[in-house]
Amino acid sequence: MMRRAIPETLLGSLPVVLVLALWQGLTSAGMAPPSLLPPPAAVFSRLAQQLTDPVFLGHAATTLFRLFAGFTIAVAIGVALGVLATGSRTVGALVGPVVRVLAPVPKIALYPAFILILGFEHASKIALVAADAVFPILLATYQGTSAVEPKLVWSALATGTSRRKALFTIVLPAALPSVLTGCRIGLVISCIVVFLAEMISSTNGLGHLLVYASRSFRTVDMFVPLITISILGLALNAGFNALRARLLAGFPEES
Amino acid sequence: MTPRLTSTAGLPPLLACLGLLALWELAARVFQISGLPPAHEALRQLPALLADREALFNIADSVRRMAIGFGLALLLAVPVGLLMGRSRLIAAFFNPLLMIIYPVPKAALMPIIMLWLGVGDASKTLVIFLGVSLPVIYHSYQGARAVEEKMLWSAAAMGMRPLQRLVRIVLPAALPEVFVGIRTGLVLALITMVTSEMIARQAGVGNILFNSLDMALYDTVYAMIVIIGGLGFILDLLFERLRAWLVAWAEPVHQIAVGTS
Repeated sequence: MMRRAIPETLLGSLPVVLVLALWQGLTSAGMAPPSLLPPPAAVFSRLAQQLTDPVFLGHAATTLFRLFAGFTIAVAIGVALGVLATGSRTVGALVGPVVRVLAPVPKIALYPAFILILGFEHASKIALVAADAVFPILLATYQGTSAVEPKLVWSALATGTSRRKALFTIVLPAALPSVLTGCRIGLVISCIVVFLAEMISSTNGLGHLLVYASRSFRTVDMFVPLITISILGLALNAGFNALRARLLAGFPEES
Repeated sequence: MTPRLTSTAGLPPLLACLGLLALWELAARVFQISGLPPAHEALRQLPALLADREALFNIADSVRRMAIGFGLALLLAVPVGLLMGRSRLIAAFFNPLLMIIYPVPKAALMPIIMLWLGVGDASKTLVIFLGVSLPVIYHSYQGARAVEEKMLWSAAAMGMRPLQRLVRIVLPAALPEVFVGIRTGLVLALITMVTSEMIARQAGVGNILFNSLDMALYDTVYAMIVIIGGLGFILDLLFERLRAWLVAWAEPVHQIAVGTS
């Protein structure tokens, strides 16, 4: 196994190296003027410099705040509605068709409405993040909770456990793998959406930095926020996976 | 079989639409803010908007770009995904690159791509292409990976060549899963289209939306949102019909498409 693993990692790093080499090659051969495609070294040294700049970090913090505020709301609503839709026929009958209609709607189209109702500040962006992240979480929760073995719940109820206790000690733990998968997808979506919302209309945040740089044709500064948000997305994804593995220690792993 | 949240069809979604509209109308009457016109006023703008030659032309233009980007993405992503599913080496080659691209906001590439390709169709189509490719590759990969090995062995024993096996066995066997990816891709194509137009602010649906917002034509803003929402719902519904017809033999996958650029 080990012998095989190393060449595969090598093979996998090949396209990444090729892309970087092509980027470097294009710029050093003078085929792409730096105003259109700055050399990778310039971009990454600018990134390193920005990461110690308090102004840049302030924008990043604004983005992170909106991201997590929206994500938290999405988790609260998504998990609650998902559990209720499984637990109660009435809620299920109400939530089902509404989700069926709203899920394929591009939530970004609601952004102007959020701006009109909630203003240009944090609230409209947080609302958009929550609207986009809530659906994968809701659906995953619903799928997880409706796959819980009913006999487990019945026997708990038969021995006198209250419904509320059965929910927290049986249904939610049993549905946890699915719920966490939904949350991980929702988290990456939040990361992307918050950036796009800031690009479309904002006066701060990482997305605003990209648009601001593009207005004055500072190409290097356009790459830096984009790379930052992508690294942030990768890091959040990896961090959440680690958290998930820790929480699910002992669960039989689903593929 | 567990009950599915999405198994309801026909009337209930229509009822849900009416319920949402009623809720909107009620909210507008209760809160009385200029930013939230009542539903009936926005809906009254719909015929005018749909009869307006320029608006219609913009919408058609957007949909055309979307279709081209979507089609090109399918042509590339399905074969790549299937090959990844059947060859460990190809999967190992592409996986890390795809993992790095996954959290990049595709529509955010718009300003950079516009520097290279200009403000025209090419950049918008490319962004849609990028947005659609990833989920389609992923699901084709998962589908091809789950193909029963024995079928491939028998095919090989009967003398089918690798390419023949890919087209005649792997593709049909993976089709239900491929369709899940295509469905996600379709929703993503629409999302990426609207988002990239909102960012580029040149033409198209997203541009009408923000132009009306700037001109304080709030009814038009909401009517446009209804049009885009309807477009998403109808495209998804049509695709679901097509899927059900093409892979009627497979277990129904009642997965609601969700995703974002």
